[in-house]
Amino acid sequence: MKDHLSTKRSIILPPSREADWRKSLITTINQYEKGPIEIDCQDWLMKCRDLIYLNKIIESAGLAITIIKSSNPETVVSATSLGHQAHLTIKSNSNPTKNPENQSPHLNQQSKLLFHQGTLRAGEHLIAEGDVLLLGDVNPGAKISAGGDVMVWGRLRGTAHAGKSGNTAAKITALELRPLQLRIATCIARGPEEKPQPGLAEQANIEGDGIIIQPAKTTPVIENKLL
Amino acid sequence: MSSHTRIILVCSGKGGVGKTTLTANLGIALASQGAKTAVLDADFGLRNLDLLLGLENRIVYTAQEVLEESCRLDQALVRHKQESNLSLLPAGNPRMLDWLKPDDMQRIVAMLSEQFAYVLIDCPAGVEDGFKNAVSATKEAIVVTNPEVSAVRDADRVIGLLNTHGVKPVQLVLNRVRPKMIASQDMLSVEDVTDILALPLLGLVLEDEQVIVSTNRGEPLTLNGQSSPAARCYTNIARRIQGEDIPLIDPSKEGSGMRDKFRRLMQTKIF
Repeated sequence: MKDHLSTKRSIILPPSREADWRKSLITTINQYEKGPIEIDCQDWLMKCRDLIYLNKIIESAGLAITIIKSSNPETVVSATSLGHQAHLTIKSNSNPTKNPENQSPHLNQQSKLLFHQGTLRAGEHLIAEGDVLLLGDVNPGAKISAGGDVMVWGRLRGTAHAGKSGNTAAKITALELRPLQLRIATCIARGPEEKPQPGLAEQANIEGDGIIIQPAKTTPVIENKLL
Repeated sequence: MSSHTRIILVCSGKGGVGKTTLTANLGIALASQGAKTAVLDADFGLRNLDLLLGLENRIVYTAQEVLEESCRLDQALVRHKQESNLSLLPAGNPRMLDWLKPDDMQRIVAMLSEQFAYVLIDCPAGVEDGFKNAVSATKEAIVVTNPEVSAVRDADRVIGLLNTHGVKPVQLVLNRVRPKMIASQDMLSVEDVTDILALPLLGLVLEDEQVIVSTNRGEPLTLNGQSSPAARCYTNIARRIQGEDIPLIDPSKEGSGMRDKFRRLMQTKIF
């Protein structure tokens, strides 16, 4: 038994829908022998805070992370930003029939762009899992939220929530950004009091602790996200 | 006549912005322009269209009896005293709310549209069952709002709901406009409102104290060709509904003309 375990040099976290890695890792961490180890985070969305916590558990058991693998691009981004070596894996057995020739699971996620034409009126709420592009206005009292970016080709005067499942890299872009409230991941900000400069598309994103508004940037979306 | 009947819902979302007043005045104005018009009070909980038209004491049967088939439609319709082209179908008692279904509303409106060129439905405030019943029976709608943030917000919500029910066209009436307050930027301007609601503007109605007087008397302003500011606005809206091309009033110029100044002077009570 002991021999078998010593050859096991990688920790695979349970898939995110089955169990919480925090609990399962603490119960299983003692099975591993001290030394370098690689971590497969599967499809977990791990922010820097999560990874720091993960590292703490690993180190307290006398182990050292060599590489972090994940099928979630955001986790890979967080891991690299913390100085870990990180590797984006192809998501196993999820939708094997869909786009079998597509080698990058990331592109798979990117294609989940929700397009909606028409004005969102008070009381209406548009929710997207991926990015959302709205051709029309978001009126005061209406809400638009997305797992990824929120792009409004029109006037944003209601409430917008980008990265609703925790993606702090998400941003909100609008031709006229005059929201009641902006939310990115868990950050919340009130909209600006003054009217924006006409004819200037603006974007909101997280910088430091808060959300800032600046002229919209033309960063190539896919390259930016793949790092 | 039935296929050409225009069924128009007058709604607002918020209460007290002037749905019933607009319905009553438009009804009278359309009728006096020669169109056979029916006004249907769909506000079963708080009916008062009959009050505004001064027909309260002449109601014998209501929409309830018509639906129960205990009377004919002709018996329930109350014809206006002076404007014989206008008839009112009164709302039944508030208990009707418990059992009235969209089907019932559609049945009433179908009956009315056999006899009339215009059917105006006075919608209850709110977006609950009463609103849903009324919407199910209509083809087009007029959304009434005031230049206030809360009224505009509710109107926006209602427009969204009208769109999902496939009501078309939806037009806007901006009620209780005060040119002076707009000029001093104490009130939302016409552009501010149309900017948010993005609807074709059917008309503006100026704030007018005479509206209160006429409501209390049960004589709509458009009756007898009165020339108070609001009466002119209502008449213009009715003519636009009939397809006439009448330019909108410009609130910034309103009240500055010689005639208006003179009229104000005449109305000023010195003692």
